[in-house]
Amino acid sequence: MPEYIDVDVRPILRAGGEPFSVIMAALERLAPGQGLRLYATFKPIPLVAVMANKGFTHSEQALDGGEWEVLFTPAETTSEPAPAVADGPGPEDWPPPAVNLDNRDLDPPEPMVRILAAAEKLGPGETLSALLRREPVFLFSQLEKRGFRWLGGFTPDGATYELTVRAPS
Amino acid sequence: MIGASISRWTMSYFAMALAWLFLALALMVAGVGYPVAEIASPDTLVLVHAVCIGWLSLAMCGALFQFVPVLVAKPLFSERWALPALVLLTAGLVSLLAGFLSLGGRLPPVLWLLPLGAILLVAGFGLVVVDLGLTAWLRPTGPARFVLAGLASLCATVAFGAVFAFVLAGWAGSAGDAFLAAGIPLHAISGLGGWLTLTAMGVSYRLLSMFMLSPDVDDRQSRITLGAGALAIGVTVAGGILAIGVASGLSVVLSIAAVFGLVSAALYGRDIAGIFRNRKRRQLELNMRMATLSFASLAATALLGIVLVAAEAFAAHIGPFAFLAVFGWLSGLVLTKLYKIVAFLTWLETYGPVMGRAPTPRVQDLVAEGRATKWFVIYYVAVWAGTLMLLAGELHIFRAAAVAMTVGVVGIVREVIRIRRLADVAGPVRLPGGAVAPHLLFARN
Repeated sequence: MPEYIDVDVRPILRAGGEPFSVIMAALERLAPGQGLRLYATFKPIPLVAVMANKGFTHSEQALDGGEWEVLFTPAETTSEPAPAVADGPGPEDWPPPAVNLDNRDLDPPEPMVRILAAAEKLGPGETLSALLRREPVFLFSQLEKRGFRWLGGFTPDGATYELTVRAPS
Repeated sequence: MIGASISRWTMSYFAMALAWLFLALALMVAGVGYPVAEIASPDTLVLVHAVCIGWLSLAMCGALFQFVPVLVAKPLFSERWALPALVLLTAGLVSLLAGFLSLGGRLPPVLWLLPLGAILLVAGFGLVVVDLGLTAWLRPTGPARFVLAGLASLCATVAFGAVFAFVLAGWAGSAGDAFLAAGIPLHAISGLGGWLTLTAMGVSYRLLSMFMLSPDVDDRQSRITLGAGALAIGVTVAGGILAIGVASGLSVVLSIAAVFGLVSAALYGRDIAGIFRNRKRRQLELNMRMATLSFASLAATALLGIVLVAAEAFAAHIGPFAFLAVFGWLSGLVLTKLYKIVAFLTWLETYGPVMGRAPTPRVQDLVAEGRATKWFVIYYVAVWAGTLMLLAGELHIFRAAAVAMTVGVVGIVREVIRIRRLADVAGPVRLPGGAVAPHLLFARN
């Protein structure tokens, strides 16, 4: 049974914050063979894919009040290394957002225009974080065409979509 | 999670659909088909199928190729099927209509055109159903479920239609004749109610909440709306076939279906009212203001149906009832949404690649709502006047209403072409460096 480092992002989420950079920072501190025990106010589905890419398996357990405990366990060291992602280093290198946008009260498609404009100003490898009302389905293909990577998901009440965009490095 | 891109052929579907709408309007103005001719006459069949397949179904397919991927946040199963489907549907419809014309003696008697048209239409709709069905099946959330139910209804409609085509060509024997004699209401209800109405409902849920910044309708709530609608169609199709099989008459089956249909329409009205009430965007755009006239037409259609049934005059006045459903509710909604969809897709196609790198216009800068409003108002008023004239049996004034409808549609189409040509965008931001003007009939993506 590996040793687990606890990361509790519930206070950040309750305050309306973006926990992604905190989780990635904790991940960097892990010693080889160590795992991550994450507490969140919702099931962090987008994160599972990221962690799988990093070579972590996961198991989850519902807590009271809709909260979740998720164990990220490093796969066996003998296993293949995680596949490199096509356009640059994996999300573990994502720095805290250089820009925070709250686009929740803008009329569509203004959120998309603002995110693309802000993304164009990012330095290599920098990230931006944006809050939206809806999943920006038409934005994703524009981001991908420009070589940006992104991660996003709804908060548990389904009212806010959190998007992190990283510029190509 | 992956994003949605622009469907290459959506504009081609819209353009072909509008061409069929103009043909249908020209027929009504010229007095070909209902109401001048009998409702079951070959001329009326030409008119009805030009409207329902050419105009409404092609426009719906074009919209679905763009929006089903948005509904499920997955790419289309196969983008490459869209164009062959359009070609098959167009060829099938031309053949079917030529078959009707020959049935009515307007062309030499070449009745095999009817089964040929049916086969081509089955192939075209088959491509559409498989492509959209496999896409929507991946993530059958609220609105995508409506589309799946709509596609199932489309299969039933096309199957009935294909059998009728073989019967009319004299290839189906006496059992076929009995089926044709009784089965037309099933064909019409599964087409207008199941395929077109359920699908329009599903797409409208997402488009309305997307463009008005409103939370999506609760899944459980919309599921009941869909359940009632799907039951209406299911009872019609299954119960109807059974009733024809035992030769018991359709009135019981159709009464039960009508009750479910009314419940579904009422629940849909409640859902849509909720979307309008909870919207974050207070100022309504033209397409939303005009869409309310379509919802009013749907409510009026339901009301008219109840009144006609209560007065035991439904069978005698099925024409005005269907006319209001087809032109007030379905065509009106398609025209208003087309106006918005074309503007949004044109904006995304032209300015998406340069957004954030150069100053770009807003979507609203592509449209001239003030100028467009009058064409929509002319259209809806003409439709309502036309319905009243049909009820009153004033055929000449009905043709005047059809002329007014044509004027409205010409005005709307002119606005849509101006949007596609970026004609109303101010010079300096019209084509910033790197942007390419869109083609009128397809997307350059």
